[in-house]
Amino acid sequence: MIEARDISVAIGSRRIVSHVDFTARPGEVTAIVGPNGSGKTTLLKALTGELSYTGTVILNGRDLVSMKPVEAATHRAVLPQSTTLSFPFTVLEIVRLGLIGGRSGVLPGEDARLPERALARVDLDGFAGRFYQELSGGEQQRVQLARVLCQVWAPVLEGRPRYLFLDEPVSSLDVKHQLIIMNIARDFARRGGGVVAILHDLNLTAMYADRIFVLSRGQLAAAGSPQDVLNDELIEKVFDCRLKVGALPAGSVPFVLPQSAA
Amino acid sequence: MAEQSIAGPAGRVRASDGDRSARARIVILLLSVALALSIFLSLTSGASDASAVRVIRDWLTGGVPADTALAARDRLIVYDIRMPRVLLGVLIGAALAVSGAVMQGLFRNPLADPGLIGVSAGSSLGAVAIIVLGTTWLAPVTLALGTLALPLAAFLGGLAVTLLLYAIATRHGRTSVATMLLAGLAIAALAMALTGILVFVADDRQLRDLTFWQLGSLGGATWPKIGTVGPVILLALATMPFLSRGLDALALGEATAGHLGIPVQRLKYTAIVGVSAAVGASVAVSGGIGFIGIVVPHLLRLAIGPDNRYLLPASALLGASLLLLADAVARTVVAPAELPIGIVTAVAGAPFFLWILLRERGVIDL
Repeated sequence: MIEARDISVAIGSRRIVSHVDFTARPGEVTAIVGPNGSGKTTLLKALTGELSYTGTVILNGRDLVSMKPVEAATHRAVLPQSTTLSFPFTVLEIVRLGLIGGRSGVLPGEDARLPERALARVDLDGFAGRFYQELSGGEQQRVQLARVLCQVWAPVLEGRPRYLFLDEPVSSLDVKHQLIIMNIARDFARRGGGVVAILHDLNLTAMYADRIFVLSRGQLAAAGSPQDVLNDELIEKVFDCRLKVGALPAGSVPFVLPQSAA
Repeated sequence: MAEQSIAGPAGRVRASDGDRSARARIVILLLSVALALSIFLSLTSGASDASAVRVIRDWLTGGVPADTALAARDRLIVYDIRMPRVLLGVLIGAALAVSGAVMQGLFRNPLADPGLIGVSAGSSLGAVAIIVLGTTWLAPVTLALGTLALPLAAFLGGLAVTLLLYAIATRHGRTSVATMLLAGLAIAALAMALTGILVFVADDRQLRDLTFWQLGSLGGATWPKIGTVGPVILLALATMPFLSRGLDALALGEATAGHLGIPVQRLKYTAIVGVSAAVGASVAVSGGIGFIGIVVPHLLRLAIGPDNRYLLPASALLGASLLLLADAVARTVVAPAELPIGIVTAVAGAPFFLWILLRERGVIDL
């Protein structure tokens, strides 16, 4: 379980996130949505310890501040929005970096085969020998996801759930790969892990998220299930445009149809 | 100018499965053989006709050599002149090449080099201060530290520059190449100006020492000198392998390295102190020897890829071999006089560096 209480983050003199409470449970996909600049990435960076914050973040019962990098790395893996490389690594060499901590959670000796399996899961079979810098943005993002998957391959380790933090994992992907990646997240949660994902596509969010946290101007505007959160009034107000939320049949997973700006 | 640049063209080498570790091991093996050959050649060649082969043969047979006077002279030349020089060349070549590779990993940039960004200039300033002021203003320091004063001053000078550079060029965990190179240039200029002031007040004897020392040479190698700087360099080199996986992870950015479980701050400080120690000790005994730190890792990345677990040992081996080779050229090309080795490495290295720049012009965005 990830429990964050009263999280505020300031960068310089600007406060980006104010007094946000956030919870992510194992077995669930938790989505963070909100317009550009609403503080989604900043909140995620606080939850992963990358940015300093006020408030508390409890990760599997322990205060994040008291955890060493190597300990935190066994509890969660983080996929950043994009990653630029300074040296010409091959795809395989990148994915292998996910195994640095040595806590993938598979049987000893099976680690060596994980990168290939992770690449297959993100639909990059046969890409191991390619140079990362020569790939398209969407392919690079999937390589990084394969690396992240290697780090926490077993969703539960020694009885403790592990977490995937994904910052816009599908933004640069085509629709097929969006579904593949979201299915990986879904599957990770189904097997006992937890997923925290920043998403822009509200329909994908409705399809895959168990709980949604809606951010607006650095504050929590709403939190709850897709059925609770995705309604015309709230979404129109937060995103400042006209949308139609529906469900077919009524009461099932909602869909969001954009209509016009403001 | 972009805040963050990528670098390294897609190498021409390509293993179909993306695993270059087998190739890397073979290259390391070949480089070990090359280093052994370079050591042997350096021991047997030189201005005098003294022969290491003859010395070894005498030693092996244990018999009385035909010409005892000649044998004694040969032994003296091989044991007391060539051997310390070769050993120093190996240590310094390895130190400079590995320091270059580590710096490049730390700054996430293939153009970072202790010589290029002012670390060596800082070390020089420290060393020159001891040479010139060691008998006057800094007399208490030299008295207290003895022969350690020079390498220690060089280390502190290099450390100060590296810390300053890192503070200036890194913001929010990203190191700007342009800022780093320009700041390095400015800091180097400042260090050289201060060095110039010291040179200005130096007496004639110190001046001659300084000039030759600054051009770089392995000529002054003696066993006591090796006893002073050898342990420093060996200790610095011995810590580097522990940094290799952290440096690999750092290629993905500081934040991601942290998420992978790397203690990034400790890694950075260890690397900075290690590089400053290795470069400082090298500069203290041999002056400014440029380009080894940039040319060697670059060549090796083309051959075996950027994985630091292989890149660091391979750099040590190739750096040592190349410096011995450069020293052989320096000793023989104008024999019986001797060219400063810094001139040899600059003449060979500077055009190579330009070639890297031209080749990667499309890729590196300064």
